[in-house]
Amino acid sequence: MAGSNEVNANESKMAVPLNTWVLISNFKLAYNMLRRPDGTFDRHLAEFLDRKVPANATPVNGVISFDVLIGRTSKLLSRIYRPAPSTSAAVPLLADLYQPPSADPFPVIIFFHGGSFAHSSSNSAIYDSLCRRFVSLCGAVVVSVNYRRSPEYKYPCAYDDGWAALKWASAEPWLQSGKDAKFRVFLAGDSSGGNIAHHVAVRAAESGIEVSGNILLNPMFGGNCRTESEKRLDGKYFVTIRDRDWYWKAYLPEGADRDHPACNPFGPNAAKLDGLPFTKSLIIVAGLDLVQDWQLAYAEGLKKAGHSVKLVYREQATIGFYLLPNTDHFYQVMDEIKNFVMANVQ
Amino acid sequence: MSSSFRSDMGTDPYDSVGDDRWIIASASDRGSSRGEIDSLLHGAGYRVRSTDLRHVAIGLEQLESTMVGDQCVASSAEAIHYNPSDLTAWVDSMLSELAPDPHLLRHPLSTAAANTWADPTQQRPSLHRLENHHQHRNVPAVSLQSMDEEEDAAIRLVHLLVSCADSVQRGDSEMAGSLLDQTRLALARVNTGFGIGKVAGYFVDALCRRLYPPPPSATGGGGSAANLEILYHHFYEACPYIKFAHFTANQAILEAFQGHDRVHVVDFNLMHGLQWPALIQALALRPGGPPLLRLTGIGAPSPDGRDALREVGLRLAELARSVQVRFAFRGVAATRLEHVRPWMFQVAPGEAVAVNTVLQLHRLLGDRASPEGGDAAAAEPIDTVLEWIVGLKPKIVTVVEQEADHNKPSFLDRFTEALFYYSTMFDSLEGGRVGGSHRGGQQQQQTVVAAVAEAYLQREMCNIVCCEGAARVERHEPLARWRDRLGRAGLRAVHLGSNAFKQASMLLTLFSGEGYCVEEVAGCLTLGWHSRPLISASAWRADDADDASPPRDHQTLVLQDHSSSITSGSNNVVDGDDHLHQHSVMRSHMGSSDRINDTGSGSSCSRV
Repeated sequence: MAGSNEVNANESKMAVPLNTWVLISNFKLAYNMLRRPDGTFDRHLAEFLDRKVPANATPVNGVISFDVLIGRTSKLLSRIYRPAPSTSAAVPLLADLYQPPSADPFPVIIFFHGGSFAHSSSNSAIYDSLCRRFVSLCGAVVVSVNYRRSPEYKYPCAYDDGWAALKWASAEPWLQSGKDAKFRVFLAGDSSGGNIAHHVAVRAAESGIEVSGNILLNPMFGGNCRTESEKRLDGKYFVTIRDRDWYWKAYLPEGADRDHPACNPFGPNAAKLDGLPFTKSLIIVAGLDLVQDWQLAYAEGLKKAGHSVKLVYREQATIGFYLLPNTDHFYQVMDEIKNFVMANVQ
Repeated sequence: MSSSFRSDMGTDPYDSVGDDRWIIASASDRGSSRGEIDSLLHGAGYRVRSTDLRHVAIGLEQLESTMVGDQCVASSAEAIHYNPSDLTAWVDSMLSELAPDPHLLRHPLSTAAANTWADPTQQRPSLHRLENHHQHRNVPAVSLQSMDEEEDAAIRLVHLLVSCADSVQRGDSEMAGSLLDQTRLALARVNTGFGIGKVAGYFVDALCRRLYPPPPSATGGGGSAANLEILYHHFYEACPYIKFAHFTANQAILEAFQGHDRVHVVDFNLMHGLQWPALIQALALRPGGPPLLRLTGIGAPSPDGRDALREVGLRLAELARSVQVRFAFRGVAATRLEHVRPWMFQVAPGEAVAVNTVLQLHRLLGDRASPEGGDAAAAEPIDTVLEWIVGLKPKIVTVVEQEADHNKPSFLDRFTEALFYYSTMFDSLEGGRVGGSHRGGQQQQQTVVAAVAEAYLQREMCNIVCCEGAARVERHEPLARWRDRLGRAGLRAVHLGSNAFKQASMLLTLFSGEGYCVEEVAGCLTLGWHSRPLISASAWRADDADDASPPRDHQTLVLQDHSSSITSGSNNVVDGDDHLHQHSVMRSHMGSSDRINDTGSGSSCSRV
């Protein structure tokens, strides 16, 4: 679509505020520089360009964060966000960090950041902001998993890391709450993170770990065929079919195509989810996201398998609308997320 | 590359329409002015001035069109990348490296477009960046080289002030005095009409008072209660904080009163009773008819022979009568809140009680034990008062407090926190004014109101900086600490509900300038300026209140313009069972015979 850049840029300009346009276009440009045609990735430059923030145990707007090592052998890190513990000290002590934030039931949100399986980390500034917001929104403890990324680590590494994080969190006594000392966990993620949340939820359902809800923000799914939305929106709102193909190729196993069940969970190769105690889902779809047909098919697939789905379709939203708090889409979706969590945390 | 951008897409109804503009972001983003860093991109790790956004956007577009397909990766691999946080410089350097062809640089049409973009807001350095610079030292240091001179002077001023406060804390009055002189000099180089310059001036004065306290006879405690009421009323008018507090608290009270036909509100600080007309009118309109409403208002004794509390009560009674709400008022005059006793309210059995405390509870706090000291804190008045509040078995306790920690044990910490808090407050007073209240162009009047509102805030600031012990009453603590305290006292938080949030947001867009933002934090609402919360509103009930939580969001308040709805009451005291009963509480040096009106049900006079 090289020749039609002008037309493309104009349409996206009308859809988002200026600072959002700058942010997402900057990402798009930077990411273009990192994906090599031979399928390798300039990880060094990627880490240099990614804006990161350190963990901060000093409360900022009532929220603190700290990093924990979840698996010593896998070196899996996660960043924990939680309401500031009530202590008279200016900076909480280590013991304070692991106190439950409340005796009343509180949600634990295991969050998988986006980035199409290749980009970003738990300490990326954009995801640090989002996780802090979840804490304030729901009084939650958020565990942001720093899963291994492609192309260096392909399927199923990201899912394995997600599962390890869920197992770790379910065994932490301070994450249990309420009179029944229950682990009230939600799996959440945007883009590839949404995809990971789905697959970890399947594993949880198969293994008897109860998940209170899935929150998928513009989840990343795909398939071999080109859907109508992909053709219609290709290159128009920051994303192209070509870059989607590159990321799937980088994540999926050598020789696999996009009907692999990781990419297409309701495709020809997928296992059935009927009868599984799969959790409830809140799925948010942006109307200007080219993969929306896959996301809508995913929601349909869950419903047909007998599982509860709440679908929120934001017609005028683009990808990344949840990164900056400057639109109705942002605030109304945060509201939906909060209501979903509050309704399902008991 | 001419591009016709569609204007306003309806995210902000007050956005002025223009053909050649991008979609403007919503309220929380709007206060950015020339020279200021876009605060939302800053949160994402990028420093870009708002005025450079368009330039950067055009640069990004050009970079994209020059870097096509596979060539993109190859060329960038050889490019030298500068600090990605400084997006403007990064884009410019990428362009010069990767697109040296002058044809591709800065198309003349796009430059013209950039120039025609009007910047509606005025220029002043914001304190956000200063605060970030000062407080978040563990964030990688940001280069100061690109800042304006004016911003340099502002930062220097802040550093001088804080150093001065530090030497005051250490007891080094010589050093403090010398720093004060330097600060005054620095103040001379900064515009003291607005922003940091203005607030710094007040803090310099406060530090001066602390160092060289005036003789006790001079000011007589900063003015009478009547003066304070005037200041408060101007503060109420100039900005939405108190209105927000009243609105939110009333909503919670209304919901808690559902299904009760005898209700009793205890107001910890009556002032002019500005909060109550809206509640009275909402109760009048409630389905099933209004309850019998009793209001007990606590306030300072009037010095000059008036009975201010009674006068307010009369006006409210008048209003209640006009909307056919059965109403009874009682005034309790007290010099300090901790002197009040629950029996003074004469709560009747079967009444639903609401306790309303707007910016009052912090006055009951004492010095906080420092983290090093292991002593248990002595029983503070707050504990006693919270205990009897809980003892009243209230259906709802509404708590509004400043969202700041001005009660830290270290003077320097308090000083610094107050400096940033009140700077933001002052910014909002000014920003709300300039941004345009939509009540029509009474600019002169608004200036006076804002100036008197500043005086109200100055009293608070002065108290925090100059006073200690019992004299320091402005002991603000943040919501997190209040949650803890109220929880320990046996109160449970009541979620304010998303309807309250939406109503508060609507209230703001109707009555105030852009830049204010309402946030919800676990069931409580905060109102702030540009993502800094400044005031919090929360609602509570006793653990063992016997009814189930009331259904939320059924009734909404009619928004009232309070200042015009208070009518001056007549001087007739109407007696009879359903109208005004008033029990005046006497100051100790007046005889007890004069102004007591007894309902006949037993002793009713309390002397504090």
